[in-house]
Amino acid sequence: MENKEFINPQDIQIQGLLDRHLRSQVSRNNSATQERHLDEDALAAFAEGNLSEREALPIVSHLVDCSFCRHVTAELVRLDLAFADDEVRVAAGENQPSKISEVLSNLLSRIFGTNDSAVFAHQEKEEDSENTEDSKGIEK
Amino acid sequence: MSREAIQHENLFPECESLMVEIYERCSEKAPNFGVLAEHLKDSLCKTVRKYLQNNSSEEPTTEEVKNFLRQIQADDLFLAIACANGNERAWWEFDQQHRSYLERVARHLARTDIDAQEVVDSVYVELYGTRVVNGERVSKFATYSGRGSLRGWLRTVIWHALVDLHRASHDEVSLDEMTENVGEGYAHATFAKVNLGGEVDRINQIAKDRYRKATLSAIENAFANLDDHEKLLLLYYHVENLKLREIARLVENSESPLRGWFQRKSVSREKNPATRIHESTVMRWLEKSYAKVLKMFRTELQAVHKLSEDELNICMELATEDLAGQNLYRNLTTT
Repeated sequence: MENKEFINPQDIQIQGLLDRHLRSQVSRNNSATQERHLDEDALAAFAEGNLSEREALPIVSHLVDCSFCRHVTAELVRLDLAFADDEVRVAAGENQPSKISEVLSNLLSRIFGTNDSAVFAHQEKEEDSENTEDSKGIEK
Repeated sequence: MSREAIQHENLFPECESLMVEIYERCSEKAPNFGVLAEHLKDSLCKTVRKYLQNNSSEEPTTEEVKNFLRQIQADDLFLAIACANGNERAWWEFDQQHRSYLERVARHLARTDIDAQEVVDSVYVELYGTRVVNGERVSKFATYSGRGSLRGWLRTVIWHALVDLHRASHDEVSLDEMTENVGEGYAHATFAKVNLGGEVDRINQIAKDRYRKATLSAIENAFANLDDHEKLLLLYYHVENLKLREIARLVENSESPLRGWFQRKSVSREKNPATRIHESTVMRWLEKSYAKVLKMFRTELQAVHKLSEDELNICMELATEDLAGQNLYRNLTTT
């Protein structure tokens, strides 16, 4: 920085002091002191900067005290930046998804070692003829 | 319609037509999702209650609720409701739009591709819902409110799923330690216990200890007296090691309350509230917070601990020796 030489030495000293103070404080007061953590919906909305002042007030206050939630929001901001230029859509047909009940049944088999088809017993039926047309590509 | 929704409708009858308008717009774009107007209204009312009514004794005005509803990511919410209901077409759409993104995020965060795949699989199962309560399947999608984007919410779900995965394989590790292993993690530090050498004069040592104690108390109180948004900024920068450009990203939205609190008295903001926030702006906010801390720090040392200007300088020098502090400009060389 060109103007670094004009900085008051006490400004630099206070930064260092604050830096160590905050880090040591976090080491001592972990998030276990917090009774409840913010849910995923609130964390995501805050990290995206979507909340109004009224909504954000209690969340900011929580984040000051809760290192766990604060860390999550920091990671979400990093993720957001890392994927900012990410191509969001996969070209149609490139990755044709299977019927969702099949996808989930396969997942369950892999995770629990069983095909728990009962879970999908209430699967919705096709609603109308238009649906049938749309769904052709994804049904067996 | 649920009882809660009816109550809310009575509170804000003026918002009814706006909710219908939102429904019609979404429904026109996705007529095959099978979402009823009541489903969307219930969800919107739940979101209003959660964000506008939950933490404030003051009821929101009709205009506030209307503005709030206009900001809802309605298309994302519509898709989430349809998926929660198990609509096949909606799931196809969701899979098409978001699966590869979920996989990329998981691979970015996880240590191995196997972990990443496992996380994506478990998130899919959770999103569909395997738990049945009162005869109804509970889908994770039901917890999405539409306040943020669906993609932002999915990132958070993936992040938590990864933490859970690590916890499952490391029972003995605390939640705090675990979160350090996901993402870039923390760099904890503690105050250095300075070894002054065995030959230090005892009187000198007692005086130094007194200065150190006063210094610690003053810095603690100075920080405690900051506003919450200033505290959070400093914690993001010093503890979470967010870079200036990352903090700028957090306040990118011109309506961001954090940005609003820092710029409350700013003339330039009044002229042009939507101006982009640069790293230099965040640096100025940090500098203002440091200046405030320094002022309160000095005031406490002088007023409470009755230290003179010379003694105050000794405190600062001792702290500097002890801590070998870093300065504000460390990130400018790397960004």
